[in-house]
Amino acid sequence: MSRLIGPALVFVAMVLIGHFATLHMVPGVIMEKTMARMEESGIRPHQFTLAPRTTPQTQTVVRPSPDLAYSICQFDLSGDQSVRVRAGLYADYSSVSFFDARTNNFATVRVGAGDHPASGSEILLRASGSAKFESDSFAGPQFEAPTRRGLILIRRLAPTEAAYNEVISVSSSDSCALVSRS
Amino acid sequence: MMKSIKLAALALVGLALGSMSALWMSGLIGTASIASFADVNIDGWASDRSIGAASADAYTRARVARHGLLALAKEEAIYFTRKTDDDGDPLSEGCTYQISGRPQDAFWWSITLYDAESRLPMNDDDALSIDATTVGNTDAWTAIIASRRPASEHWLSSRSADVFDLTLRLYRPAANVIEHPHTNLVAPKIRKLECGETE
Repeated sequence: MSRLIGPALVFVAMVLIGHFATLHMVPGVIMEKTMARMEESGIRPHQFTLAPRTTPQTQTVVRPSPDLAYSICQFDLSGDQSVRVRAGLYADYSSVSFFDARTNNFATVRVGAGDHPASGSEILLRASGSAKFESDSFAGPQFEAPTRRGLILIRRLAPTEAAYNEVISVSSSDSCALVSRS
Repeated sequence: MMKSIKLAALALVGLALGSMSALWMSGLIGTASIASFADVNIDGWASDRSIGAASADAYTRARVARHGLLALAKEEAIYFTRKTDDDGDPLSEGCTYQISGRPQDAFWWSITLYDAESRLPMNDDDALSIDATTVGNTDAWTAIIASRRPASEHWLSSRSADVFDLTLRLYRPAANVIEHPHTNLVAPKIRKLECGETE
């Protein structure tokens, strides 16, 4: 009986390790695959790409909303740089949301008309632990990214073709640019 | 030597079992849908309000990564999923339903139809959602869910969906809806009208 205790303990330990290691890895693996798929479809880092109007034929993620237009930017803060995000002003619902490499939505900023009358729609994304960005030319909100890589998503309400065409026009003012701290 | 091999095999089986149990418990394998893990259920509309939150547990994170990637935290949007009609039967392409509701206490709302794989069904009907801009947000409204275009104005197409579910999105929901959804969410009704052959 006692000679079974050792193998039994090994078995239980491995079940627990397998269980929690899988749980820990799943979000990162799915996000990594999603970002790789986006790169394959032409989405480049540090620039917003307006996705085609969401239809069954163009969907690239699960449960997309066909009523929203999505502009996507991949960020990579590996060089201790920051990303300065600007969303072109849109008259209807509009938000900028930030997702880390483990899929967490760590920040969302409302940028529709009237949401930011004073500071405009600029947002700064910094690496975790980095010093706050100080510049006379920037007064918008700043966030620290929990991971070096991730996604920035602008959602705009566009339930019709006409509204989507308006988003095309507005999105030409979107930017997602690396800025150096020096 | 043989003892070591047996121990290594046992360890591998343990790892595999642990991994599979994690995938099953987080709904990544098996038949459970995202609605099966809700912390709120109002007349069949189920929601997990920890979606997108930093406080979400590991199971929720894994589940959302698979079924609701890039979903927003509840302060910006909340999501309710419904899999059955008012009789408790699974929603099916083979049946026609009337869905009815009233205005929601949110900046904007929509109801979208998804197949069992959490994808928009492959049809070209351009009728996979209704929202506050199409049915209005000031009066009661009704729409038809069917695989063929109905005579009525508002239509959710279930063509090519087989068994499906609906997601109700509330963007910028009022604080009372976030905190007390049971008393403040206006849960749409789904009445089965008829069932027949699919196309």
